[in-house]
Amino acid sequence: MALGNKTLDDLLGPISEQLGRKDVAVAIKVPEWEFKAQRVTDGLSAAQLVDLFESEAAKIRVQAKRCAKADLAKAIAEIVGAGEPETGEACTVVCADEEAFAEAGLYDALKACDKVTDVHVWDEAVGDANVQKARYATYGVTYAKAGIAESATIVQPTYPKCGRAISLLPLVHIAVVDAATIVPTMLEVMQSYAADEKLPSQVCFISGPSATADIELVRVEGVHGPMYVHYVIVE
Amino acid sequence: MSILYNTDKTLRERVSDCLEDDFKHNAIRTAQEVFYVKRGELVEEMGDGWQQLRLHSMEVRNHVTENLDYYVKQFATNAEANGCVMHYAPTGDDALWEVLDIFEKHGATYAVKSKSMMTEEVGLNEVLENAGIKITETDCAENILQTAESKPSHIVVPALHFNRDAIADIYREKRGYTGSSVPEEITHFLRKILRDEFMEAEVGIRGCNFAVASTGSVTLVTNEGNGRMVDSFPKVQIVFVGIDRIIPDLEALDTMLALLPRSAVGAKMTAYFSLDSGPRGAGEVDGPEEVHIILMDNGRHTLANSEFKDMLRCMRCGACLNICPVYRHITGHGYGSIYPGPMGIVLTAGLAGYDQIDTMAFACSLCGACAEHCPVGIPIHDLIRQHRMNIVEQGKNHAVEVPIFKGLELFWSNKPIYLAAMKAGRPVMKAIARGEDALDENSVWIPVVKGWTSTRDFDVLSETRFRTWFKEHKKEQAKNGKGGEQ
Repeated sequence: MALGNKTLDDLLGPISEQLGRKDVAVAIKVPEWEFKAQRVTDGLSAAQLVDLFESEAAKIRVQAKRCAKADLAKAIAEIVGAGEPETGEACTVVCADEEAFAEAGLYDALKACDKVTDVHVWDEAVGDANVQKARYATYGVTYAKAGIAESATIVQPTYPKCGRAISLLPLVHIAVVDAATIVPTMLEVMQSYAADEKLPSQVCFISGPSATADIELVRVEGVHGPMYVHYVIVE
Repeated sequence: MSILYNTDKTLRERVSDCLEDDFKHNAIRTAQEVFYVKRGELVEEMGDGWQQLRLHSMEVRNHVTENLDYYVKQFATNAEANGCVMHYAPTGDDALWEVLDIFEKHGATYAVKSKSMMTEEVGLNEVLENAGIKITETDCAENILQTAESKPSHIVVPALHFNRDAIADIYREKRGYTGSSVPEEITHFLRKILRDEFMEAEVGIRGCNFAVASTGSVTLVTNEGNGRMVDSFPKVQIVFVGIDRIIPDLEALDTMLALLPRSAVGAKMTAYFSLDSGPRGAGEVDGPEEVHIILMDNGRHTLANSEFKDMLRCMRCGACLNICPVYRHITGHGYGSIYPGPMGIVLTAGLAGYDQIDTMAFACSLCGACAEHCPVGIPIHDLIRQHRMNIVEQGKNHAVEVPIFKGLELFWSNKPIYLAAMKAGRPVMKAIARGEDALDENSVWIPVVKGWTSTRDFDVLSETRFRTWFKEHKKEQAKNGKGGEQ
């Protein structure tokens, strides 16, 4: 028999009573707010936003580089081609299943790298095997939905062709960001999602490598997630 | 109730213990300085924008508090529409029952958890362990505390009171660690052992920084990525959400996230911020299959529409701890609450009640630095003072002050008694001071007085009262023909 037995009304009753009313209001409109904060990104041009995104990335220990759309495969192959980042040994890659990657010839370019022993493209048909591939992969490659200039954050939603594991389990995360999608602050990203009917099951905002300072405030990277993060900005 | 711990000792005893621990002291002081400087740089960079952000966050959070029942309902309805299973917990015990039900339904015995103050508040780990369920804390600091069976000393970096050697020893003894005391090596050892646990655990338990009413979404702010691991691999997920975590819409997240990491650790953003809206979607192969949301009140509603309603804006950033001069000295453990420091006093007194908190509300100099640094503009020191007034008025702890002040009032408003006491004062004090001009540490045998004289001298009353001297002085001046008035 269930031990828990409280309803929403049990939770709401005391709150309403404390607020001096019997029933919960049927509709409350979010008011027009009095204050709107100025931000460091105010008035920046699109090109300046990309510059800011790039310079902020360096501050959070992300290696960012730009490339032309035609050079996307080459730009990523250059990073992956170096092999395991610390030892230079052979490595494996897990990629999101993106049309843009296929069009750019990314998968073939990665397979052609000497040090790459396996390239796995996320495939919902193989289920949990995707996660196992990501768990032992050196590199995970995703295509971000947007970039946020103020904090050099990339916006990474989850969908059938791009699981959560790709940007989380590998030692290195490579995020591709289209320069045209770089916005000033998180607000613009939130506004675009607010217009959507249904949000993705997860939208992850990523700003640099997994890190901690829990032992004597010494910063250590690569706690549970990637130790290294690259942004490839496509212009 | 697990907000309070180490209650066998009085606050005074706990503070004495903490004052003697030099390592803990220095660790807290360093943390305060590091966070303070980094935060300051980012705040300065924003110019007027910072103050405008604070004001905006205040109007948003106040609007939610004023309509709290509406927004709780809206969040619950939308989260359910996203496919989450809702559980309602007016009290902490209700939350525990709901969690036990979920484990029983799945026959689950193994859970991983990412740091959540709400679960600390209800003492979840202990209850699950008693029910035969293994639960692993996965935040580095929380894992250290769990392995060492210790309590947090700071809400953002909770294991500051252990040095690297102690931490290495804890893992050598309990988990077979063979490496050095270098933080990087210990951390990477944790990465290895915890990764297996994330993959094997049946249930993931986590908290929620902000809950979005308009979309039914929950969010999590982490740096290590353990929150994401808990959020991605166990098939069943339990999310603890306090009714004071709710914001109206997605746009408000921008404001809150612009304030939180800057205030907490002096960063523009944490490494990860996830916005979760229901279980994994069709065709997705990771993420939870079932999401259970425990929506918990546990006394929070009593703060709404009360003199402490401003506290419901708090987002647990720890900025007030990082600036507090009292916290700097007595550290998190002195307070004896999982919520220490200035915000901790207000919240603990509000949730646990005056009978439970010893003299905690008096562990504050009312300097107001906390309120000045609070990103959501909570007048923290005013609320602490309000708690003190309530405590005295209700005749609770420290109510002994009432007769003392009544007595002093009588004494100072009655001239003959006052004059007689002043006259007797000098010879009595002189006798106690053994003929010296000041009471020193030799007088610590006198109650009350020792509070001063154990560390400083207290001058013996002068031979002449100031008023008497002044009268004489005026007379003297008149005699010498000097007007002298300035």
